[in-house]
Amino acid sequence: MFVAFFESVKYVGHLLPIAFLRVYLGYYYLQQAMIQFRGDFLLRPRLAAQIAEAIPNLHVPQWYRFFLETMVIPNWQIFAFGILALQFAIALSYLLGYVVRPIALIGIILSFHMLILSGPQMEDLYKTFIAIHVIMAWVGAGRCLGLDYYFFKRRRGIWW
Amino acid sequence: MVVLKNFIIFILFIFASLFASVVYKKNHDSNKDNRPVIRVFGSSSFVSQWGPGPGLKDLFEKTCECRVEYMDSADSTIMLQRLKSEGRTIGADVVLGLDQFDLELATQGQEWKKINLDESSFEEEVKPNLVQSNLVPYDWSLLSFVMRKSDFKQLPQKLDDLMGTDFKGQIVMEDPRTSSPGQQFLLWLIQLKGEEKAFQFLTNFNQHLHSYAPSWSTAYGLFQKAQVKAVWSYVTSPVYHVVEDKSTDVVAIDLQEGHPAQFEFAGIPSTCKNCEAAEKFMALLLSKEGQKIVMEKNYMFPVIKGVKEGTLFASVPKYKVTTLQVIPNISDRERILKKWAARRRGE
Repeated sequence: MFVAFFESVKYVGHLLPIAFLRVYLGYYYLQQAMIQFRGDFLLRPRLAAQIAEAIPNLHVPQWYRFFLETMVIPNWQIFAFGILALQFAIALSYLLGYVVRPIALIGIILSFHMLILSGPQMEDLYKTFIAIHVIMAWVGAGRCLGLDYYFFKRRRGIWW
Repeated sequence: MVVLKNFIIFILFIFASLFASVVYKKNHDSNKDNRPVIRVFGSSSFVSQWGPGPGLKDLFEKTCECRVEYMDSADSTIMLQRLKSEGRTIGADVVLGLDQFDLELATQGQEWKKINLDESSFEEEVKPNLVQSNLVPYDWSLLSFVMRKSDFKQLPQKLDDLMGTDFKGQIVMEDPRTSSPGQQFLLWLIQLKGEEKAFQFLTNFNQHLHSYAPSWSTAYGLFQKAQVKAVWSYVTSPVYHVVEDKSTDVVAIDLQEGHPAQFEFAGIPSTCKNCEAAEKFMALLLSKEGQKIVMEKNYMFPVIKGVKEGTLFASVPKYKVTTLQVIPNISDRERILKKWAARRRGE
């Protein structure tokens, strides 16, 4: 697996720039997740506060608003834990180049929710993130300088 | 599906590792605090490090065997929205920072606990605002134009004096759509002159303005940086300059027309989780010690007698009060604000 990790550069070297972008995004997600883990994201209802402030200005279907108000705000601890865990998952996946395609889909969903809830000042950032996640999933960025190449070589299939 | 198996194992590994880390962190946190929490909703300026929030928190936690957790909001409308969505579930024990205009919205679909008050201890100017026994004022001040004496040969004495050439492009006001002092000015002007004459006055007055700032702090920042010579602010603002700048040059002018008053209210939502502690917090807020902290940090008058005596606030001159006799309801205010915005655009 270790040999395959570097061998990938020889065979899919054209993906190297994308691999650097992947590693950088993984590092960014790791940094953000660590800040939240060390801070009070899991201890204080920051997520609930963010959603409560965003709700009046949201242009979303009624069911989504209902979901936020009745499920997410009262159970903010579960959702905060879930979001943080997914951020760590994206970070590690992108850094190691492991299961990048399915994780990129999760990244798109997560960024889409953050785009809705974070307000106009963060809109450009999350739109850019969505575009990068789409590219990661599209090219299978884990196949260059990543563990996905090891599995891709042996199993093939669209998910590696 | 090998990838699915790998993916699920990977996700489960992450969730399990994070869960273990959280449990470990919780058990080994030396600053672990198991005291019950009292959640206080307040404006950002109240809970910030330079506001009265931290002082009140320290004082309260000395005696209450609990922990004060402030939840700050940029403005009172957002705070009330959060109260509606979070209040019933996560809980809100005390709400601070509502003004006269928020009371109608605050009581729509939200019940408040009755607060036992000793009315005789309140300042005379505050007593008319005690009619609602569940939302209680905790600080107040009159509003006026604040300026530096050294900038003018003669200070204005009435609103029309502000139309002089000395003031051309030198006054900053707060936008009434986003700022409570700005809204106070607009409604006070309408009360003084009647709606049509007030808007006629504004048409001329707007030409003398430097700008309409979105908030009081932005407007006052322009004045402090000497980018303008006059700002619509509180008559207690000059005290800040005496304390911080050791300067007596800044004054709030005494208008012949009188001055509107702004009161800030606090209350305990009926959905409070730690109601007993909330009542104690309210008692502290309305005590002499609590009022002293609010007065010195917010630069507003206390509502309780015997607090400002012997301080710089006692030396603030007596101004003529023209409190709003009738506060227009929400829909009427919206209509007035729309009209104001249309005039501002020159329609």
